[in-house]
Amino acid sequence: MDFSVLTEHAGEIGSGFLMTLWTWIGGVALALAAGLVIAVIQLSAGPWIRGALRCYIEVIRATPFLVQLFLLYYGGPSFGLSLSPMAAGLIGLGLYGSVYFAEIFRTGFTSIPQGQIEAAQMLGLTSRQIVCRVQIPQMLVLILPALVNFTTILGKETPVLSIITVPELTFVLTGVGAETFAYVETLLALCVGYFILAELCSRLGQWLERRASLYLTQGVRTPRTLKPQETAA
Amino acid sequence: MFDPGLLIQSLPLLLAGLWNTVWLSAGGLLAGFVIGVGVCSLKLSERTVLRRLGGAYVSVFRGIPLLIQLLFIYYLLPRLGLDVPAWVAAMAGLALCCGAYLSEILRGGFLTLPPGQVEAARLLGLGGRDILVRIKLPQALRATLPALLNEVILLIKASSLISAVGLAELTRTAQNLAASTFLQLQFYLAAAVLYCVVNISLALLAGRLERRFEAGRA
Amino acid sequence: MSVLPLTKNGHEVMLEARGMSKRFGEHTVLRDISLSIQRSEVVCLIGPSGSGKSTLLRSLAFLEAYDDGEVFVEGELLGYDRAQGGRRVISRPARLREVRRNMGMVFQQFNLWPHMSVAENVMEALIRGRRLSRAKARKLALETLEKVGLVDKADAWPNRLSGGQQQRVAIARSLAMSPAIMLFDEPTSALDPELVGEVLQVMKHLAEEGMTMVVVTHEMGFAAQVADRVVFLDGGQIVEQGAPAKLFREPSSPRLAQFLKNYLERNSLFDDRPAANGTCL
Repeated sequence: MDFSVLTEHAGEIGSGFLMTLWTWIGGVALALAAGLVIAVIQLSAGPWIRGALRCYIEVIRATPFLVQLFLLYYGGPSFGLSLSPMAAGLIGLGLYGSVYFAEIFRTGFTSIPQGQIEAAQMLGLTSRQIVCRVQIPQMLVLILPALVNFTTILGKETPVLSIITVPELTFVLTGVGAETFAYVETLLALCVGYFILAELCSRLGQWLERRASLYLTQGVRTPRTLKPQETAA
Repeated sequence: MFDPGLLIQSLPLLLAGLWNTVWLSAGGLLAGFVIGVGVCSLKLSERTVLRRLGGAYVSVFRGIPLLIQLLFIYYLLPRLGLDVPAWVAAMAGLALCCGAYLSEILRGGFLTLPPGQVEAARLLGLGGRDILVRIKLPQALRATLPALLNEVILLIKASSLISAVGLAELTRTAQNLAASTFLQLQFYLAAAVLYCVVNISLALLAGRLERRFEAGRA
Repeated sequence: MSVLPLTKNGHEVMLEARGMSKRFGEHTVLRDISLSIQRSEVVCLIGPSGSGKSTLLRSLAFLEAYDDGEVFVEGELLGYDRAQGGRRVISRPARLREVRRNMGMVFQQFNLWPHMSVAENVMEALIRGRRLSRAKARKLALETLEKVGLVDKADAWPNRLSGGQQQRVAIARSLAMSPAIMLFDEPTSALDPELVGEVLQVMKHLAEEGMTMVVVTHEMGFAAQVADRVVFLDGGQIVEQGAPAKLFREPSSPRLAQFLKNYLERNSLFDDRPAANGTCL
């Protein structure tokens, strides 16, 4: 084996790695935002909108990510939606991830005791304030493991973007492999690269969960109101 | 954009693609199940080395994206002088990855078994393999059936990646038809509908089993 | 200020139900309830479990949407707007908040927000709803906590407090919004017996200060001592109501007599004082 092909193409590989990171983070951000919106609508909208969202969720869950990407990237122009590979990849990841995140958020919302919400209503908080101030802060702690887990899964879907020619790590390295016939070396590098990404993500997740469980037992955060200028009574 | 006549004409091709998807997934599932049981018993073993080995298998095959695993097998096997047909490589890829996930599901199932049962079986003189096959596995299977069906859905979706190594399963068939007719939207939609039919049926089945199982436990 | 409706003897009516009914599916839980509560009046709702007393209280706050009849809070219709043709529609959230603005509620399960400190629990609605600055809200929160005797716990986490303390924080949280009417839904039922007294003490103070209160309770001693009027519900209907002294000594309906008898049997096992004479708290 000869790993010098890797050092020779270090620049491309580096930019591919960055592209992977960027699409991953961008996709997760889009999916989180869309998922939260879907979950909130599901909780508050009427039966028709809820039914439509349910259909959307079921269809996305039942079809392969690759087919969704093809629909978006190759099928898009048929209804006037011409996207660059990069844009199609980001939107694809966002759509695909949104339904899974929405389910996670939904379970999170329903796990907050109804009484806490009624108390907030009786104190005159608006439903948006209740969502933002009472429900989300508490449920984020509860659903954190599930969020981290799915973020990792979404990361492992990013190589699929190479199939619609997004110049991310897999695209770059398989390209280098085809050019130099150093398939094994480049594929090994790919394995190592994604393994490192997955490991990093799960470590980050474990760290976050530890912080969060401390937060739940309420030892780590000193209340903001302890600031000296505010303690004067 | 749409050409219904052409769609009907190419329906046999699409269905053949779906059939390939289904049997490749089924084969991957069966082989993956065997791997899963093996890895799971490694992870539940009393010896640290074996437990580590099982853990390493799971984190490698769950940590590396399936597409990379498939490409690896596809390119590596010929290098090793193994000239296997593409479908064997594809199915092996699915099985290796699926095995890692199944082992974790089964482990969850095994861990819920009361330890008293195994002790009772041992007292009755059953050997280790008999205990696994006759006592533990059937119960673990029942307890994890909904999760296993869910895994089948994931596997069917994952099998679309086989298209990348050129095998004419459903996604690849749709891709070929789309490219040759320029009716991209039509054929990808058709593929999506077929995936939906299979997977939503499976999901409904899983939901029913889950409810029945919960009712049985209550 | 809207002019409040007055009763015959010139009292202001703070909260009123007229012919109110509530159904859950086929099951009617409240039947033709009419009840009017005057300023500074303390009304205790008693009755066997399942009699609908909690549902009545929750309907008075529109946490349950009543089906027929009306509820008026300080003269304003609660929960519904009159639409054209005599039909009515459920109020928009903003309107509901407006009608409920002078109403506070205390729950059986306290319902404090566990991710906020005690002071933050009290400050939250002051900042978000009343638009006070943090400093002002904090000052007001500490003053209110002082009233319930918990100012030293201002920066503690709710889960670290005893049940009685948590309930007092919940009362303070409600009180900080300076409500004119306070509703209590079995405020001591989730508490260990030795913690009940501290919460009842706080409520008694509130009553003495002239707060209008509607209290669903199992504490007959509290009802006897503090209530101006006791309302006995059974089967979703008001069976009997009146001054506690009269109601507890000479119940006119057999159902109330039976209810009181059961209560005494349960509660006076090692207590030679009669529970209904108003001396035990």
